[in-house]
Amino acid sequence: MAFPIEALPALPARRGHLVIKTRGTPAIPECGSATIPGLLSERSCVFYGARWMLAAIPDVIHLVHGPAGCAYYGSTVRRTSYRVYSSMLEERDIVFGGSARLYAAILAAVRREPTAKAVLVYATCAAGLIGEDLDTMCRNASEATGLQVVPVNSPGFRGCSQAAGHDLAAEVLLRHFIGVGSEQSMIPNSVNILGEFDVQGDLQQIEALLQQLGLRIICAFSGRAPTAAMAGAHRARLNIVHCRRTGESLAEGMQERFGTPHLKASFFGLEETAATLRAIGRFFGTDEAVVEEVVETGCSEARRLAEPFLKRLRGKRAALFFGASRMGSMGKAFRDLGMNLIMVGSQFGCRVDYEDADRKVVEGTVIIDDAPEQELEIFLHQRHPDLLCGGTKEKYMAHKMGVPFLVFPQEGSPFAGFRGFVNLAREAAGLVSAPVWRLARSEGDLPDAPGSFFALSGKEKDNNER
Amino acid sequence: MRLNEIPVDGVPYDRLKIDQIPASPAYAPRDPELVPAAGRTLVINPDRICMPIGAMWAVLGVHRAIPFVQGAQGCTTYARYTFSRIFKEPATIATASFHEDAAVFGGRRNLIEGLRNLVVRYWPEVIGIATTCSSEIMGDDLVSFVKEARVKIGEEIGAEKMDRIAMVIINTPSFAGSHVDGYDRASKAFIETLATGRDNPDRRVNIIPGLLYPGDIREIRHLLEEMEIEATVLFDISDTLDAPLAPPQEIPYYPPGGTTLQEIRGMGNALATFALQPAAGASGARSLERRLGVPAVVGPTPVGVDATDALLQNLSRITGREIPSSLKIERGRLIDAMADTFHHTMMKRVAIFGDPDTVTGVARFVCELGMTPVAVTPGTRTKTFEQEMDGIFAGYRELFLDAPRVFNGGDLFEFEEYLKTLPRLDLIIGNSKGIDISRELEVPLVRVGFPIYDRFGYQKRPIVGYRGAELLLYEIVNAILDFRYPDDRTQQL
Repeated sequence: MAFPIEALPALPARRGHLVIKTRGTPAIPECGSATIPGLLSERSCVFYGARWMLAAIPDVIHLVHGPAGCAYYGSTVRRTSYRVYSSMLEERDIVFGGSARLYAAILAAVRREPTAKAVLVYATCAAGLIGEDLDTMCRNASEATGLQVVPVNSPGFRGCSQAAGHDLAAEVLLRHFIGVGSEQSMIPNSVNILGEFDVQGDLQQIEALLQQLGLRIICAFSGRAPTAAMAGAHRARLNIVHCRRTGESLAEGMQERFGTPHLKASFFGLEETAATLRAIGRFFGTDEAVVEEVVETGCSEARRLAEPFLKRLRGKRAALFFGASRMGSMGKAFRDLGMNLIMVGSQFGCRVDYEDADRKVVEGTVIIDDAPEQELEIFLHQRHPDLLCGGTKEKYMAHKMGVPFLVFPQEGSPFAGFRGFVNLAREAAGLVSAPVWRLARSEGDLPDAPGSFFALSGKEKDNNER
Repeated sequence: MRLNEIPVDGVPYDRLKIDQIPASPAYAPRDPELVPAAGRTLVINPDRICMPIGAMWAVLGVHRAIPFVQGAQGCTTYARYTFSRIFKEPATIATASFHEDAAVFGGRRNLIEGLRNLVVRYWPEVIGIATTCSSEIMGDDLVSFVKEARVKIGEEIGAEKMDRIAMVIINTPSFAGSHVDGYDRASKAFIETLATGRDNPDRRVNIIPGLLYPGDIREIRHLLEEMEIEATVLFDISDTLDAPLAPPQEIPYYPPGGTTLQEIRGMGNALATFALQPAAGASGARSLERRLGVPAVVGPTPVGVDATDALLQNLSRITGREIPSSLKIERGRLIDAMADTFHHTMMKRVAIFGDPDTVTGVARFVCELGMTPVAVTPGTRTKTFEQEMDGIFAGYRELFLDAPRVFNGGDLFEFEEYLKTLPRLDLIIGNSKGIDISRELEVPLVRVGFPIYDRFGYQKRPIVGYRGAELLLYEIVNAILDFRYPDDRTQQL
């Protein structure tokens, strides 16, 4: 049954953003476009994207130049609270300019944290609109303190989604932090992992696997990125791009400046982890037997441990709605779980992300770009997947619709690598088979009961008839 | 004596209590210039959010209402995350999606297009339009934009349908106040826009709860019910942000409940308006008083015996209804509980932080329990906080073991540094932001106020009224007991 997006009231601008995969031809929706106002898009702002990339850097001062809210909101990233400093712009700063206040704030912050290696100064909407000269202030402060003071030009409106924030954060890292160390020699058997934030211990799982191949990680951006590690990141033999959206621009920049080659990889799911290890092994000329041993042991062990959970998941239907690149990398993992992917979507994916997703899905899958809240509601109501995966905001809406939900980035345990796959299977199986979903539905309530999109109450119905 | 130093045999029980170690024996005081917040340009760990989210909170309490935020996407998305984390509920909030072109040309196109899209996809009854620092700095003329939008949308959907949708503009520049002020401005905006007449005076009262949780609002409703008073609760989130899970759902999803448009329009007919949190809602109450002569009763937040007594007495005075025996029994039970637990609460030193009215309410209550508030800080600075605290402490100063330190609008860094200098601290009462301080000082945290995002159920547990005070009392005393006795010994109390 075709997903009736056309039935939604007069918004032709949304039409191309949903496609259904048909055999043979790639199904790429309209993407990368400006957000349509007023629709409840799930996207966030450029500052959010910059914080996503930079918050986890531990030994720098993160100073937000803006009013109270941006610092408060920006202090929680991936559900972890980080210490954030703020210049707390107030009305008179908006009128008379906040540069003096910013300068004083930077100096005070450096005194407060004398062991900090640098200062990152984030510009917010307010700072951008009042025309704050961040570069000059940062330069002056740098001279005064002897520390690197780096402006991050991230007012929220500087792009149509978080993606612009990821890119400018990558530029900041490339220009000021990566490869600034004095040692130039390449460390053999070393890698960086780009686009890896060490959620719930993912990085440890990846590291353990790489160690079995005799490799070590210099720096993970930004899950393990103290300034010292970033300074030496150019010495890695290879960059592994784990998340395309947050890692690729770093990889391309490092290739341009230092000639470091990069490899797109995924450690989610058995097949992908195996393929990634083989590709890395080939690159480093590792003995094939060793690689195969790691893969075999990992896979068989994971399959054995995951089997009781895979039984519960076999044939169940999953829908994924992520930021951008995870559609592709997690898509395979869900197929490994034996689930059918009936929908993949993203908030701000670009063409490359959708091409990747398209390769991972089968005929009949819905592919949707920048789905606003209501389109997700309708999808859930019409298709009723057994599991929806996405971010916190969508979780409670899905629950109200009676659909189990798995939050990404994950809340409980690592999902990367072979052991991570077992965790994914366990959590997905647990959520899908929770008794509450049976209890939620009383007898006689079927998906097409009153409340179905096509059985709306009078007011909405005659408004939709056109 | 620490837990692992306790010998097993022959130790008298009274030697088995874990001594409260000084908060931080190795603590080296910070550079004093860096610590006091007044006059300091740098803020570390602020305990407040900016204005727009207060307005969004208010609009989410109105039936079939959707807030529309005239700003960049982060202002909305971050706020939706915040609501989701606290209430574990979906929050339907629309954004004007400012991109670079809006920064250059202004937000007119975004507003008009956004409102139109919101109307045809959601058919709300009320749209609360909150501005942000972006739109305020750019000088968006919202009044004329909204007028234009109404004409344009009216052409598309018909004037009759357009007339049924109310739009309220709330000016909430983030740099001019905190989330508390945002709620306050929303109360004024809604009342001035919608509660325009006093054509049918009745015996109802208006309640503007302020930033109280669903559990609190339900408790207020319980008090009103017992007194047989009909009330309009403006910004009633007790159902909209606490909806049941009972699929299938209507699409688009609207939670049940919320103050209806009709109720808001009728607020001018009431006997009086009770603003339970002076910093959040008094503006609305006073505006109604000024324009339509409906008396405004502002505060105090009804936490604890005295404040709840005051609320009930005011209600009784204004409506002429007696305070029923059922509520006197509830009061009696609270007093009974206070007497029973007094031995454990007396002379305990407690630090309180949060929104200003939550802090005054809780401070008043802990004084009633015989505790000494050693430090109080509201995240939002108000003009009257210090006076209010003086008034509260006036009757209790002889019982205090140390003089309380009253901050006004500082940040949590300053608060934390002060707590570390105290020789002894028994309890911290505040929101989830205090968990780090609590763990570091090894002092229990009782979670009260906004925001609580690291545990479940606190939005359902009231702190107002007699029953709410009782529940809060049990949490306070049990937190003290958990930390005070070794956990491998049962203790009869």
